[in-house]
Amino acid sequence: MEKIIAILEDIKPGIDVSSVKLVSDRHLDSLAILSLIAEIEDEYGIMIPAVEINPDNFNSVESIFVMVNRLLAED
Amino acid sequence: MDSYYSLSFWVVFIPLTALLYQLFPRRLRPLVLLGASYFFFWSISGKLIVYVLFSAYSIHHFGLWLTNLQTECNQLTFDLPKDKRKAIRSEYSKRKKRVLGAGVFLHIGMLFVLKYSAFFLGDLNSLFDFLKLSVNVPIPHFILPIGISFYTMQAVAYMIDVYRGVVVADRNLLRLSLYLTFFSGIIEGPICRYQETAEQLWSGRPITYHSLTFGLQRVLFGVFKKVVIADRLNLLIKTVFDNYSFYDGEIIIVAVIAYTIQLYMEFSGTMDVAIGVAEIFNIKMPENFARPFLALNIAEFWQRWHITLGAWFKDYIFYPLSMAGPIKKINIRFRKYFGYYYGPLLGGSVALLAVWLANGLWHGVGWRYIFFGLYHFALIFCGNLIKPLSLKLTDKLHINRQNLPFRLLQITKVAILVGFGELFFRARSLKTGLKMAYKMFTATSANAFFNNGIYKLGMDRRDFYIIAAALLIVAIIHLMQEKKIDVRKFIAQRPLLIRWSLYYALIMFIVIFGAYGQGYLPIDPMYANF
Repeated sequence: MEKIIAILEDIKPGIDVSSVKLVSDRHLDSLAILSLIAEIEDEYGIMIPAVEINPDNFNSVESIFVMVNRLLAED
Repeated sequence: MDSYYSLSFWVVFIPLTALLYQLFPRRLRPLVLLGASYFFFWSISGKLIVYVLFSAYSIHHFGLWLTNLQTECNQLTFDLPKDKRKAIRSEYSKRKKRVLGAGVFLHIGMLFVLKYSAFFLGDLNSLFDFLKLSVNVPIPHFILPIGISFYTMQAVAYMIDVYRGVVVADRNLLRLSLYLTFFSGIIEGPICRYQETAEQLWSGRPITYHSLTFGLQRVLFGVFKKVVIADRLNLLIKTVFDNYSFYDGEIIIVAVIAYTIQLYMEFSGTMDVAIGVAEIFNIKMPENFARPFLALNIAEFWQRWHITLGAWFKDYIFYPLSMAGPIKKINIRFRKYFGYYYGPLLGGSVALLAVWLANGLWHGVGWRYIFFGLYHFALIFCGNLIKPLSLKLTDKLHINRQNLPFRLLQITKVAILVGFGELFFRARSLKTGLKMAYKMFTATSANAFFNNGIYKLGMDRRDFYIIAAALLIVAIIHLMQEKKIDVRKFIAQRPLLIRWSLYYALIMFIVIFGAYGQGYLPIDPMYANF
């Protein structure tokens, strides 16, 4: 979880990423999501397919964490 | 019956469908809707109904094919070690891709042949002429089934979602057909996803007092936008756009503003009618507009205008393209050199360009639509490019970006940029659009406002007052919605007398000030041929 928080803080400095709704509060736009995905893929060595890009998966640190763990388990 | 605004639609079609729907047992109600949908389609497009029948059958088949392949793959890999599992998955993934490719190719191909072949072959002939080659390709002229682009987008979304495993293929051909052809979305959308409406349509939920009254209120608001505002503006717009060479820049500006208002009122009004009709039958369709003219930048405008189309492009073109190998590599490289913001912006712009080219072409056949797409691409790209700079600048100047005057300034900027783009959308050709734009910048004075020239274009002073009053009503409702006030609930909670006075006032406004009958020129559904 810390790793994901660190990545998000790099991409969106100045925002308390743990306490906001990232997508529905419009903190993450499509370009920021592309950055985030690239970083997560680098960090965890997984592939995030386009189908996973939906507001539910990216709306909070927790939901991103759940998605990453699921993809790690499926790999 | 040719649209949601024809008398027969409201006097015969909807009452009869609603009556049969309510009288039939719950399990047969979806069939009433399906029969009504086919009848509606046939009444507009006649024999072309064969297209939707064939198409639904093939989509059903492709869906099952994809799901069967996935099931087969799951069964084969169930107990296997990781390396073997990966190899089989990869093999099946390739097979699924081929099946999906065939399904998408077939449907986009049919759309392309029916809608775009004349345009591209015409340009090809012009090229042969230019090269002085004596070749002339015969140009076919097809009649388009109503709402073919909306239909195709739903079909493609369904197949891709089945391929991705987001939905399981529907074994029931009739349920899938109803999702694809439901009469309330077939003309102009909204573009629904299978998981949003298929089950609701098939559930046969009864019409209730609440669904009927709330649905009718939504319909009424849509009719108000279309009949009082959009239709009233039509004569002025047609007069100026058809004879632009006779008019000065200020008249062209008035016509462009009028057209921008008309397009929004017609399209969002028709969405209100479509969503309202569905609501009568207790079906919730996705929203397609969220007060776009309150957007603070062009990117936000497109998140509020034709929302379901934007979401479609984002899910099925932008992200898949951005995540594709070569673009991803560009992104990673750019990110190293240009950082987290500019890196993906430059890499992602390739995907963004593809989205806007597709968006332009989806809207219509002609170079002016391609120009329209590229224009919005350029606006969004430049907006993103200068965003960090503009944030820094406003911070340095101690401008509060949340204060009302600053927001109003941004809202006005968006309206002007959007309006300018709509000029090319409405002009007869790209060349005409450019000529009109040139006039706007070079031959504009205030003459027409002093010599009453604007009252000689098909709209008199009274028409302008009615438009102003109607726009004020829409603006009040929009501002309430923006403040998250559910207007219909708000009205429903008022005392009986006030409630019904408001309903009657709206009905009387439409009846008295609706632009129908002699001296008016109602518009066709603008998005139906897209």
